[in-house]
Amino acid sequence: MVINRRENKGVVIFDIDGEIKRTDVMDVTLHQLVKTELESSRKNILLNFADVAFIDSFGVGEILASYISTHNLGGQLKLARISKKLFLIFQVTMLTKVLDIFDEEDTALRSFFHD
Amino acid sequence: MAKRRLFRVLSAVVKVKPGEERVAILLFFYFFLITAPFTIVKSVRQGSFLDDLGANNLPYAYATAILVGLVVALHARLQTRLSRRSLLVSTLAFFLLTALIFETLFAETDWKWLSLVYWFWANIFAVVITTQFWILVNDIFNPREAKRLIGFFGSGGILGGVVGGLLTGVLARAAPAHQLLFLVGAFLLACGGCVLALFVRLRKDGELIASYRPAAGTKAPEAPEVGFRDCARSVGKSPYLKLLAAVVLVAGIVSTFVDWQSMSIISGAEKISNRTSFFGYFNAGLLVFAFIFQLVLTSRFIERFGLRTGLLVYPALLLLGTAGLALAAGGAGVLLVAVSLKGGDKALSYSIQQSSRELLYIPVPPGEKYKAKIFIDMFLNRLSKSFGGGILLLLLLLPILQGYRHVYVVAAATCVALVIWMALNVRLSGAYVHAVRDNLAKKWERADGVLAGQADVGLAKLVVDTLESRKRSPELFALHLYEMAKANRLTPEVRQLLSLTETDGGLSVGHPILDGDERPWIPGFETAMPTADVTKEIEEVFALDSYKTVMADYAGRVVEGAAAGGEVGRMELAKAIGLMEKTSPLAAKLEDLLDDPSPRVFQYAAEAAGKLGRREFVPILVHKLADAHLQDDARSALERFGPAITGTLSDYLLDPAEAVDVRREAARLLGQVANAESAALLLEALAAEKDGVETDILDALDWIRSNKPEVILPREVVLEHFAGDVATVAAAKDPSALLHLFKLLGLVYDHDDVFRAYQNVLKRTKDSVAYAVELLDFSVDQEVKDKLFPLLERFGARGDA
Repeated sequence: MVINRRENKGVVIFDIDGEIKRTDVMDVTLHQLVKTELESSRKNILLNFADVAFIDSFGVGEILASYISTHNLGGQLKLARISKKLFLIFQVTMLTKVLDIFDEEDTALRSFFHD
Repeated sequence: MAKRRLFRVLSAVVKVKPGEERVAILLFFYFFLITAPFTIVKSVRQGSFLDDLGANNLPYAYATAILVGLVVALHARLQTRLSRRSLLVSTLAFFLLTALIFETLFAETDWKWLSLVYWFWANIFAVVITTQFWILVNDIFNPREAKRLIGFFGSGGILGGVVGGLLTGVLARAAPAHQLLFLVGAFLLACGGCVLALFVRLRKDGELIASYRPAAGTKAPEAPEVGFRDCARSVGKSPYLKLLAAVVLVAGIVSTFVDWQSMSIISGAEKISNRTSFFGYFNAGLLVFAFIFQLVLTSRFIERFGLRTGLLVYPALLLLGTAGLALAAGGAGVLLVAVSLKGGDKALSYSIQQSSRELLYIPVPPGEKYKAKIFIDMFLNRLSKSFGGGILLLLLLLPILQGYRHVYVVAAATCVALVIWMALNVRLSGAYVHAVRDNLAKKWERADGVLAGQADVGLAKLVVDTLESRKRSPELFALHLYEMAKANRLTPEVRQLLSLTETDGGLSVGHPILDGDERPWIPGFETAMPTADVTKEIEEVFALDSYKTVMADYAGRVVEGAAAGGEVGRMELAKAIGLMEKTSPLAAKLEDLLDDPSPRVFQYAAEAAGKLGRREFVPILVHKLADAHLQDDARSALERFGPAITGTLSDYLLDPAEAVDVRREAARLLGQVANAESAALLLEALAAEKDGVETDILDALDWIRSNKPEVILPREVVLEHFAGDVATVAAAKDPSALLHLFKLLGLVYDHDDVFRAYQNVLKRTKDSVAYAVELLDFSVDQEVKDKLFPLLERFGARGDA
């Protein structure tokens, strides 16, 4: 998995490319990256899943951990362009009630400023 | 007035019912008027044969029985061409005429072998006349009535035999034996008159009697052209009739052996100067005993001890007698033993044996019955004598047995045959029960059992709930899909059903929640169905600590009403909690959701509580049983707890202060648990119960008995209840009150038999009630019969109180 960082209108966007699974050994996890941003007072974070081929429950755990960390500091963490499968998992687990999920990046970016 | 007096007089001796008395009396005389001449014919047969040809030629006489088959075939043809009345009357006329012919031949010729021809004629006489009588009895009466009355009009036959025998004994000393055939003719003439009167009476009183079919007076409607082969085939097709045929065959062989043994000893007795007279008195004497037994004891014996005992008594006593004869052989008392053996043979044969055997025909379908009787009673019965004669010749002539006294050889053969006969009788009595049971179709099964066996109620509810959830929220729908996938219920058919849209003309998709909502709805719905790997991942997500942390806050806001979504949100939460692991901290929220004012929320919360199986939810669920809107969901949830809450349910059931609905449902739930513990608790509650939920407790026990027959209920406890409840049912006006008693009986006796009988009692036709009682006669104990049968007869075919 490769995670690329960029910014747009004050929102940190992580473009995640590849698979998020427990068997992958990485130097830095997604959660760690998010925490790094939070420590730098960058509290609006968007996770872009357009190029994520596979995500397992470890990956979901990473997302949730990132959400908790962000939320506890008064920040906002949102998700964009997740797969049908991941959306279904979020629906079944009712995480759609908690997480903000968007179909397009632009819509997601706009939401940071409407809320 | 005269009719009532007749009924009063007769019912003092016989278990006759109003309307039956005249027909019964006529049948009594009918049988009297055929057995009196038969006894004369038989005495003349025995005396003349021994005088002319001697005992050593007896096996040849026995062998003539095989020729009776020709007569049987002719009779079978006549039976289909003539009405019953015409057949009986013309048969009597034939024998009257031929009796007179034989009288002339005996008087005018010296031909010794005439006695053998006469022997053959006498066999035909016996077979045809007697069988016709019993066929008519079977036409008129059903099993229950036959059992009551068979002793009575059967005793008419015995009395006829006594009178015939005494007349023979006296008159044979004063005149040549063959002149007694004039007396035979006179009796047959009187019998013809009696038969005509009987059919007149049947036309008038027939509908008062049981299942009397008017066809008995006319040609049997279901009788096609039948030949002897057809009769034989008919018996060959039925295992029951084959068994009966085997019994008759063996019995006939035994009877031949016994007859030969006795006749040999009698023919050698120097004390006897006039053999015809001797046989006349002998036949009369043995029939006196048979008459008393038949009139007073036979019906009661069979009713009290059952058919099996009735069938075994005769061969058992013969076994004793045969052994006695062998021991007494050569001694001074051998004539007495021989006469006693012969006497006992005939006496029991005419009384209990004949009555028991006739009962065995009753469950045979009408179309088969007359064919069976033709083959078995008319042909096989006589053929067995031929077999017996053949075996006797073999035993008497075999070189290897020449060193032994004939009486011992034949006694040994008789004992072997008797043991075989008794074994066959045991099997036959068991087969009789099956034959009676086959006449009782089970009308219906327990509906809940049928539903459970044929329909997947759980899946049906789940599909309906899933479809309904589509209208409420995507999350709720997704939760349902997940549940179905997890349970492997997402079959192609279900997927197709759930994929239907409005444009398909199917169910409404209708997403008012999503209308104008910015949340995306995933297109290509069917491809988004949860798969095995997805369901696994969802399970893992539920288990994540981070997930529990995130959702705990959300769940709190939902329960407090602070979160958006309202009722639907609470439904979603309840549904999700039900899909988590039992120890999830979110499960604690269920307590609030179970008290939610919305029945829909309660439905999901109850379902979740049932799935998680956490006992802290049981009291809330139990109390919801009292609410008609919530009862079903609460019950379904509690069912899932299974045996774990048996004790708790019992506490509620036994608490008279609890709401009736709660106690009722508690009984039902204990029935669903269906194990020994729950059954014991239900019985305990039944004992303590006076009013209120007794019916529900009994229904629960009945459910256990139907579905878990391996759970044994203590008989004495149940029968104590039964005895206590009989008086209450007796006071009821409606036959459906019997259900209570039958449910109790079904707990300890064969459940299928008991309910088969009950359903047929409810049908309330005479035949259905009679067959039901006949089946119960074999199924339940005597003390139960004594209490139950009077109620059945009261509530039975003739109406209620």
